[in-house]
Amino acid sequence: MTDPTKRKHGDASDGALHLGSPLARVDGDRKVRGEAAYALDAAPAGLAHGVLVRGTIGAGTVLSVDAASARQSPGVLMVFTPFDTPVLGAPDSFLDGTPGEGPFHVFPASILHWGQAVAAVIAETRQQAETAAALLRIDYAPGDVVPSILSKDAGPGVPVGAVDIDRGDAEAALAGSVFRVEATYETPREYHVPIEPHGAVAWWEGDRLTVREPSQWIDAMARTYAGWFGIPFENVRLISHFVGGGFGSKVTAMTHGAVAALAARELGRPVKVAVTRAQNFTAHGGRAATRQTLRLGADADGRLKAIVQDGESETSVFVPFVEQLNAATSVMYDVPNLRSRQRLVHVNTVTPAHMRAPGKHPSAFGLESAIDELAHLAGIDPVELRLRNEAGFNPQTGQPWSSRRLREALVEGARRFGWKDRPAAPRSMRDADGAFLGWGVAAGLFPALDHFGEAGLRVDADGSIEVLSAGIDMGTGTYTILAQAAADALGVLPGDVTVRLGDSELPSGPLAGNSLLAGVMTGLVHKAAAAMRETIIGLALTEQGSPFRGSELNTLDITRGRIHPTLDEGRAVPIADLLKAIGRDRIERIEDNFPAGTSAQERHRIMTTVAGLRPPDGGVSSVASWCAHFVEVKVDEDFGTVRVRRVVSGFDCGRLYNPHLAASQFRGGIVMGIGQALLEGGRVDPRDGRIVNDNLGDYLIPTNADIPDIEVFSVGEPDFRAAPMGGKPVGEIGIVGVAPAICNAVFHATGQRIRRLPLDIAALLSTN
Amino acid sequence: MRSADTPFVRSAARTDLDLHLRVNGRSHRIRAEARETLLDVLRERLGLFGTKKGCDHGQCGACTVLVDGRRVLSCLTLAAQAEHGAVTTVEGMVEHPVGRLVQAAFVAEDGLQCGYCTPGQIVSATACILEGAATSDEAIREAMSGNLCRCGAYPNIVAAVRSAAAVVERR
Ligand code: FES
Ligand code: FES
Repeated sequence: MTDPTKRKHGDASDGALHLGSPLARVDGDRKVRGEAAYALDAAPAGLAHGVLVRGTIGAGTVLSVDAASARQSPGVLMVFTPFDTPVLGAPDSFLDGTPGEGPFHVFPASILHWGQAVAAVIAETRQQAETAAALLRIDYAPGDVVPSILSKDAGPGVPVGAVDIDRGDAEAALAGSVFRVEATYETPREYHVPIEPHGAVAWWEGDRLTVREPSQWIDAMARTYAGWFGIPFENVRLISHFVGGGFGSKVTAMTHGAVAALAARELGRPVKVAVTRAQNFTAHGGRAATRQTLRLGADADGRLKAIVQDGESETSVFVPFVEQLNAATSVMYDVPNLRSRQRLVHVNTVTPAHMRAPGKHPSAFGLESAIDELAHLAGIDPVELRLRNEAGFNPQTGQPWSSRRLREALVEGARRFGWKDRPAAPRSMRDADGAFLGWGVAAGLFPALDHFGEAGLRVDADGSIEVLSAGIDMGTGTYTILAQAAADALGVLPGDVTVRLGDSELPSGPLAGNSLLAGVMTGLVHKAAAAMRETIIGLALTEQGSPFRGSELNTLDITRGRIHPTLDEGRAVPIADLLKAIGRDRIERIEDNFPAGTSAQERHRIMTTVAGLRPPDGGVSSVASWCAHFVEVKVDEDFGTVRVRRVVSGFDCGRLYNPHLAASQFRGGIVMGIGQALLEGGRVDPRDGRIVNDNLGDYLIPTNADIPDIEVFSVGEPDFRAAPMGGKPVGEIGIVGVAPAICNAVFHATGQRIRRLPLDIAALLSTN
Repeated sequence: MRSADTPFVRSAARTDLDLHLRVNGRSHRIRAEARETLLDVLRERLGLFGTKKGCDHGQCGACTVLVDGRRVLSCLTLAAQAEHGAVTTVEGMVEHPVGRLVQAAFVAEDGLQCGYCTPGQIVSATACILEGAATSDEAIREAMSGNLCRCGAYPNIVAAVRSAAAVVERR
């Protein structure tokens, strides 16, 4: 997998399965030609354009909006303000089980964070709408602002409670430990920054609403639109054929979509609302800022005896969002005694959201940094220390692991990296130009979740074979792996299969989040394609007009899209010809994984709210992906610069459905992790809570020149407890543990501990 | 208090222009406002949605197109500025001898994930090769750093540019 392109591409001729082979991305051609149509790549006839206007205070009230000149500005069709926007209906809460949020006030007069949307202008062109928006005169009564977790008046926060852990007697075990480390680790607000900004195009036909919008969860978003506009779920069509990156930011319906749909209804024409790059920093939350103090205790051999964790994470003043700081801490190593507490610090920010590896990333940053500190203190190699603390079962729940090959990732990673040549002492490796080099390691995990869904399969007499799902592909490879899964089970080539995704009219698909969609959908497509295969063979045996009519049961096979007697491929008939011969235009199958007897109402609930998320393997075993990152950094102490020069990372994600595309996901996660270590962090104005660096020139994400060669390899083996086709989560694990591996390497290079992200150049400047 | 969130444009007077644009070898006569960017005209007036908007501020490269063979950020270029030039967008790359190779190399090396930055990467990579900048991995990284990719396809993008450049070299 290190170089998937050098490998033989599987096809049916060598008897290999397609699922698991490194097939090139099937939607690649459309993407490189600019033919892949993203949500805003459409201009339906009569299109009008809307822009959102952000408030410019951190807290308080909108007193008035003078829109007179805006309304008279050329091309303006409509202005929405807190005082004249229709109140929308109350969708049931997306967080199933909590009461609905009530009627949706699109532009509430009460301001809870800087940048909160306060108005919208709709005009013939976007330029006209922007011009008019600048003419709005908005008067505010500013209130007191708590800008961020770092503010003096932010207070200690309120206990979360629900995520507390008390395992054994951690304080006593810590007191009795031979080696103890204590340190505080901080991560800043981080932002998803998909290169495709949010936006929506909406139009109505009677009481039927169509919305083109990038979505990670079509059905849940459609449900919100239905609730807002008081129409049946079936009357909402949400289209999201291609998603230009999500990373957790495109899961729920938001103000921009409400405005597009509302304006489209009022105007009787399609409306496009594009969220600007700057607005993407306040229209939805990024990852919450966190702070945690860890105390680790170990015996003389470096075996962990106790972990005590005290943490805080930031949230808005209106939603208690938890960025769970013990997500990795509690399960990574075999620790008999663990005490974990977390508080929420409410500040005037947009509510944070899940972002790639929520909880797991900040949790691993703290833990994997502290483990390195412990290794240094105890004089034990950090790879060896981790191996000594391997957990044979889930130490938090007592469940057996479905599979855990972290040891293999660590050992093989160390071998490939050349770890044995690492001198233990910091400041002992230099490059030819005199700059310090450092080698660091860290591990990571990603616990799996399961979900429900449906998969459709359609075979046509015109020869087309389609896989149908409302699930989406945001670059994760869904289009490709579902073609592979269908090909194997049906007996055709992946190239013969067209996968249609991202449309709420298609069979219900799971959330594209928690890295679960691939596992759920490959299983369902396999099931649907296998059922289709049985159906086709059954028809061939029984239908009038079939050349195989009257053959014995179990004597027919389908290979490369042709039906034939098992032992006689010479008499093969293409599936389409069989359909024609028996007078069928089309056969369709939809398969699902709902428990038997699930009512339609219940299916709707579990496909459109978090109610459908469940533990894999029926909760019997504990399912997670594992990784180990080895990093080399070069530190120039005169300039305080850090370059990541080399990364070698090993992954246990079970069976990879497509190693070529999985490698891209792994590398992509590592690239984002490099950004988190070295570059990324929201800067908050201490006066009003404004995000100061709300653009791509100031909120820095890695560029091509920041990224070195990244070698990734898989140590996973098929894990059928994890998912029907044997895979474990792939999309998010790559990010987990990258930042601590880099910071540990910086310590090895310089002797300086980096405990706050992103790394501060000033801290590294040479003092001599 | 004034909203600080939208461009400060005082004048309400429209200044329409009749523009003649050559895009991917085809002539287009359009009427557009003087302030409209080449990016907005390509997308919203000509329906050429291949070129993407990631920031509208010249900070991401998603909107990269060629004007007379040179890569430009179409979000920072007024449509009127492109009037006398030949514009090539990602849609024109299938016809472009180097662009076509670059497209194939991106698919083979998986130099993309979500694909949203990809049109800009394809155009930029094509120019990078024609500029003679693809001399080493280091040089490719540098020359391709105006095109952000949040999916982190960078190592594969470098591999794609390297392999396309090698094919061009051999010809
Ligand atoms: S859209 Fe032009 S550089 Fe980002
Ligand atoms: S492929 Fe998604 S941003 Fe580059």
